[in-house]
Amino acid sequence: MSTPLLQMLNIETYYGPIMAIRGVSLDVYEGEVVTVLGANGAGKTTLLKTATGALDSSKGQVLLDGEQIQCRDPDWVARKGIAHVPEGREVFPFLSVAENLAMGAYNRTDADAVEADLGIVYEYFPALRDMRDKMAAYLSGGQQQMLAIGRGFMARPRLLMLDEPSLGLSPVLVQEIFTIITRLNREQGLTILLVEQNANIALQVSQRGYVMEVGGMVMDGPSDQLLDSEDIKEFYLGKKEEGVRGRRRWKKRKTWR
Amino acid sequence: MNRQPVLVDGCDTVPKLFLKKTAARGDAVAMREKDFGIWQSYSWNDYRARAFDIAHGLLSFGLERGDVASIQSEDCREWLWADIGIMLAGGVVNGIYPTYQSRQVEHTLVDSNCRFLFVEDEEQLDKYLEIEGALPNIERVFVFDWRGLRGFEHEKVASLDDLYELGREFAIENEGRVEAIVEQGCGGDLAALVYTSGTTGMPKGSMLSQRYIVFQMTLAPDYLRQTDKDEILTYLPLSHIAERVFSAWLPLAHGATINFAESTETVAQNLRELSPTYVFAVPRVWEKFYSRVTTAMSEATWFGKKAYELAMAVGTRRADKLIAGVPLSFSDKLTFAIADRLIFRNIKKVLGIDRAHSAASGAAPISPSLLRWFLAIGLAIDEVWGQTELGIVTSCRKGVYRFGTVGPAFRGTEVRIDDNGEILARSDGQFDGYLNLPQKTAETIVDGWVHTGDVGELDDEGNLSITDRLKDIIITAGGKNITPSVMENELKFSPYISDAVIIGDKRKYLTCLIMIDQENVEHYAQTHSVPFTDYRSLCARPEVIDLIDAELTRVNEDFSRVEQVKKFRLIDVLLTAEDEELTPTMKLKRSFVSEKYGDLISTMYAG
Repeated sequence: MSTPLLQMLNIETYYGPIMAIRGVSLDVYEGEVVTVLGANGAGKTTLLKTATGALDSSKGQVLLDGEQIQCRDPDWVARKGIAHVPEGREVFPFLSVAENLAMGAYNRTDADAVEADLGIVYEYFPALRDMRDKMAAYLSGGQQQMLAIGRGFMARPRLLMLDEPSLGLSPVLVQEIFTIITRLNREQGLTILLVEQNANIALQVSQRGYVMEVGGMVMDGPSDQLLDSEDIKEFYLGKKEEGVRGRRRWKKRKTWR
Repeated sequence: MNRQPVLVDGCDTVPKLFLKKTAARGDAVAMREKDFGIWQSYSWNDYRARAFDIAHGLLSFGLERGDVASIQSEDCREWLWADIGIMLAGGVVNGIYPTYQSRQVEHTLVDSNCRFLFVEDEEQLDKYLEIEGALPNIERVFVFDWRGLRGFEHEKVASLDDLYELGREFAIENEGRVEAIVEQGCGGDLAALVYTSGTTGMPKGSMLSQRYIVFQMTLAPDYLRQTDKDEILTYLPLSHIAERVFSAWLPLAHGATINFAESTETVAQNLRELSPTYVFAVPRVWEKFYSRVTTAMSEATWFGKKAYELAMAVGTRRADKLIAGVPLSFSDKLTFAIADRLIFRNIKKVLGIDRAHSAASGAAPISPSLLRWFLAIGLAIDEVWGQTELGIVTSCRKGVYRFGTVGPAFRGTEVRIDDNGEILARSDGQFDGYLNLPQKTAETIVDGWVHTGDVGELDDEGNLSITDRLKDIIITAGGKNITPSVMENELKFSPYISDAVIIGDKRKYLTCLIMIDQENVEHYAQTHSVPFTDYRSLCARPEVIDLIDAELTRVNEDFSRVEQVKKFRLIDVLLTAEDEELTPTMKLKRSFVSEKYGDLISTMYAG
């Protein structure tokens, strides 16, 4: 295989004395959608923040196209081509939709292309076009998520990192957003690293997946294989055999096979 | 052999002793167990009251002398209460490993013709419910922990609390009934069934009499130095004979306080908070201790490393003198006292063995190098040897360090070597044969001697050394006899190797399947920037294979050419106690593994 677009090698990241990530490695290849699954506190967000430089790793390397980018300033990393759509949207509430999108293109100088990309964003998210002059604070949760993704896309990144885009959204909206994520990947050739708790939908849109638990990787593989794994089914998809009594409270031991 | 009664404190059965001891110890603490993270104490009076409730409850359901009741649970206080409760009522106790799958559970329940079943919780209950149809003889099932079962109704299933209630009601009308049953008991009564995982075929049930148990009790405090002042930690399955001896029977006879580990995952942590004074552990645990210290030392500062090296030099010199039986000089004692004060005591504190005055290792062979290391840091570990059929038969004696031997036979036991090298043993308290297997029994007990299936030697002082299991001895295609466990133990001494199985019967050369120590190898990979994701990818890394290769090469140097292992493969699946590859004490099962990984093995002989 070719060199991965993004490669994380033996990353260790601390919050003060607490080791949040203890040696994590991961690859994302050009054109892929890769999912990282994990429960609360597994270290998924920390992993993304370490990749963007928002947090410094105390050990390990982050390589973008083979070039080391760990422990650099986030704006430098962003200019290198990684866009981060943070957890909980984090749109600029007092700026308009159009201004928010323009912020995404802050580093770009190719004004014509920016204009064209804005058109693309409005095409994918027609709701944003209708609200373009409204303050972002007035948008619904789903619209804000769309805006955050659109803002990320406006940087025309080589890699788009999405942190829990399904957070706090209704099932219909989740479906809608993931459909657009899939289209962005297929039609625009956007490489996406997706962090999710909603394992079902994340594994459906991605080609490969990783599972994190308490700061370490416990499993990785093609998404369809993960969907078939007994542990993923029981612990992430909530499917379990009902057991002999018709209901079972005890949990099997996780083996990650 | 002789049939004179075996007695502890004038009692020939466990129930008689239990009545006597609980009356004498009263409110003293018998056991501790954590509840919501806080240690709770239970006195001998509590123990007695609960055991009586259970006995009365079982009697109310018509349990008769010799009926079998089974306990299928992780270690907990109720395990011991039910254990004694069943015996007080005249029943026979069968302990079932909680890691058994329903198929294995079914075999022991049917084979033992079990009438009553105690299960820990809903998880264990489900195993019964899955095979309920095949078990018409089970009359009642009692659940220790009813959580998750609210609203569940089943004509045969009740909670332990319900049983207590029934027992108390029954007691009102039947005062003195239990005492009468206990009085009628004698040493020859069947007390317990212990099923041993046959590596081939279904488990066999060893029949243990009251006399067997009482005989094991007589081994302390002279040989097994457990007394009423001791604190012990219970963490191996109580259905295993070794843990039963150390954590159920010896404390009952001699009064040590039992502490239940929260779970198998928290053993290290529980050891540290309790710091037991008497430690019994399987080699795997001792190996883990050692590898934790070596890993920590490899990361210590320059000063820390130097201090450790200096202290180890002092400790090893003293250990070697002790092993050789040379008296210690004043300077040996002084330098060791300083090294202990500054270094060893801290190591032992971190491991939770700083208060231990005695320690024992058993249930599997242990590397002599490991015993020497522990002696160097100031902990003498006695290797004990035994098996379900005999109980504990030999142990090293206090102050005598014959590492590599398991010491001489106890008073009341005899050991000799058969013509084919097999160890034969007999004792005042050996088992009465296998349940329902007269043929197997006749093959095992010949003229009163138990054929142990172990091969070994006796030295001039009567110290027994174990070479290997008779059936594990490898005869290579070249006709050379190899005892695999010697090298396997040296391999396991490596911090990176958790277990190893050597293969080579009727083959040109020896090969090996290795299970890595996840924690230490992950740590190695991380410190050496070797990227990996899951366990399988870790095992596939060339750097990890090189690491194990280096360990193997180092161990190979101590063996002659034919005894050297030429190739190896890693088992890249993370195994748990539920997997059939492992015994309940987490050893790889040789025959099972060599069959299951046949394809992997043949790659080592291809071409």
